[in-house]
Amino acid sequence: MSKKKEVVTSGGIVVREKPLKLRIWNNRGYYIMFIPVLVFLIIIHYWPLLGIRYSFYDYYPGRQAPTFVGFEHFQNMFATAAFWTAFKNTLELSVIKLIITTVSSVVVSIFLNEMGNLLAKKTLQTIIYLPHFMSWAVVASIFSLFLSPSSTGLVNGMLKSWGIIDPAGQGIYFLASKDWWRPIFYIINIWKETGWGTIIFLATLSGINPELYEAADIDGATRLQKIRFVTVPALMNTIITVLILNLAKVMNMFESVFVLYNSNVYDVSDVVSTYIYRQSFAVARPNYGYSTAVGLFKSLVGCVLVLVCNWASKKTRGRGII
Amino acid sequence: MAKEVSSKPKQKLHVFDIINYIVFIILGLCILVPIWKVLIDSLNRVGVYQFQLWPSQFTLDGYRTIIETTALYRPFINSFITTILGTLLGLVLSTLGGYVLVQFEMPGRNFLAYLLLFTMIFSGGMIPEYLVMRRLGLVNSMWILVVKHGMNVYNLVLMRNFFEGIPDSLYEAAKLDGCSPMGIFFKIVLPLSKAALASIGLMFAVTVWNDYSTVQIYITDPNQVNFQYKLRTMVMDGDTPTTSYNVSQTTLFNAGIIAAILPFMVLYPFLQKYFVTGVNIGAVKE
Repeated sequence: MSKKKEVVTSGGIVVREKPLKLRIWNNRGYYIMFIPVLVFLIIIHYWPLLGIRYSFYDYYPGRQAPTFVGFEHFQNMFATAAFWTAFKNTLELSVIKLIITTVSSVVVSIFLNEMGNLLAKKTLQTIIYLPHFMSWAVVASIFSLFLSPSSTGLVNGMLKSWGIIDPAGQGIYFLASKDWWRPIFYIINIWKETGWGTIIFLATLSGINPELYEAADIDGATRLQKIRFVTVPALMNTIITVLILNLAKVMNMFESVFVLYNSNVYDVSDVVSTYIYRQSFAVARPNYGYSTAVGLFKSLVGCVLVLVCNWASKKTRGRGII
Repeated sequence: MAKEVSSKPKQKLHVFDIINYIVFIILGLCILVPIWKVLIDSLNRVGVYQFQLWPSQFTLDGYRTIIETTALYRPFINSFITTILGTLLGLVLSTLGGYVLVQFEMPGRNFLAYLLLFTMIFSGGMIPEYLVMRRLGLVNSMWILVVKHGMNVYNLVLMRNFFEGIPDSLYEAAKLDGCSPMGIFFKIVLPLSKAALASIGLMFAVTVWNDYSTVQIYITDPNQVNFQYKLRTMVMDGDTPTTSYNVSQTTLFNAGIIAAILPFMVLYPFLQKYFVTGVNIGAVKE
């Protein structure tokens, strides 16, 4: 009997813990409530894990049964230039996008924080949050019309009328040009996500102790000095948190690239997910085995990134991200 | 004394404030110009490149065409139905799961939590998921949108974080009164969580309404696609609806874009605070 654990109740009284069976029985209501969640969790997340075995099979859908090929797909994958291009692009596009959208969010939130006029502040917040609620399909449509080289594209029209590019020429195909695709991709991301990104920084800024600013006033600090020595240091923790949280997700990039890219710019825009998509659904004779193998590689890299970020998060702010 | 301190920096503030207003205006314009251009072009009979504050040849024929194109009805209705059902399923699953996860004395709670967290670290990938959905008969069916988005571990954890903030004493008082877990859930937890339900429900709604890639991967049947998909094929692949009106193709594209964003743009000003709450429940809780 002495083996039984003792627990302290919320009232501070020490009592023997009830036997496990009884505790399970007492909580039966909760287990029943979890069943629907469990069913969907299995369908969406756990059942697909069984399909990972196809990474080691040749699997041509609709033809013969899958045949075992061992690590052949992985060897092929690592020997394929297009795969490495996609892998490199994924890292570059998502990391650069993450850094520039975070920086722009921080800058905008500092400006918002300095705005004394509440009405102006609220109005601007309403405006800059807006693009976040537009789907990537809509954003891609808006910008492809905006940048279009046809007679109705604003940017090309302006450049022609100002004489910057030949008015009689074809205009610039921004989204089909290897030089322009990436800058445009980053600009669109800034346009869509900067405003939304400010929410978390503004929450931190509203929590800064006003006494810090008062002390700085007494020391005769200028407004810029106050930003430099009070506001920015206060934001540092949140910036690191945001970077770590998002770094864990860099491999997931899909939709934003998919709606904007095209075959002219695969070299600079193709990411791992879009590569998997094309290998599975857009080639004449797809081998699901190969695309599963690429997917497994992507998941593993993503997994390592999450664990590294989790470790970094524990180091820097004392709690993990997962 | 206090007056002196505050009056001295005030003169320096002036320049900064002017700069701040200028930055505000430029920033607001950067966001609004592309949206305004779409809106005005959708109301203009001819396609022009110029940025106009008001259409040079005002017409509603673009919208008439969109409304009269029957090929757009099905995608719009599909989007509508899947958004409502996806949001409901999402709220049911995330509240149930979040509620169970705050039962700290429940044996196996940690196991269930790890079961959820594992999915955030590792996933089967596009093809294994596709094969499961094919097995379930969800390929080429719009219900895939409901099933896929209804189970969202991230939102479930947000819900859990919110429930954790409800004082224990409320639960314990209810338990002492002989309230069942289900009873506590409906009588205490849900009524106290209206704000969280609104903001997480909105997140689900936005996700389902805006989804494009799921349709791209899983659906080829034109009767099952959603509006976002239809819009993109219209604008990017030039699949223009035929029109009996004398309007340019650009007008039609722009009217289509406005139709796709309209539901949330109309609701957005009223719901903004719920969206913001949602972000703050998740992120700022330290």
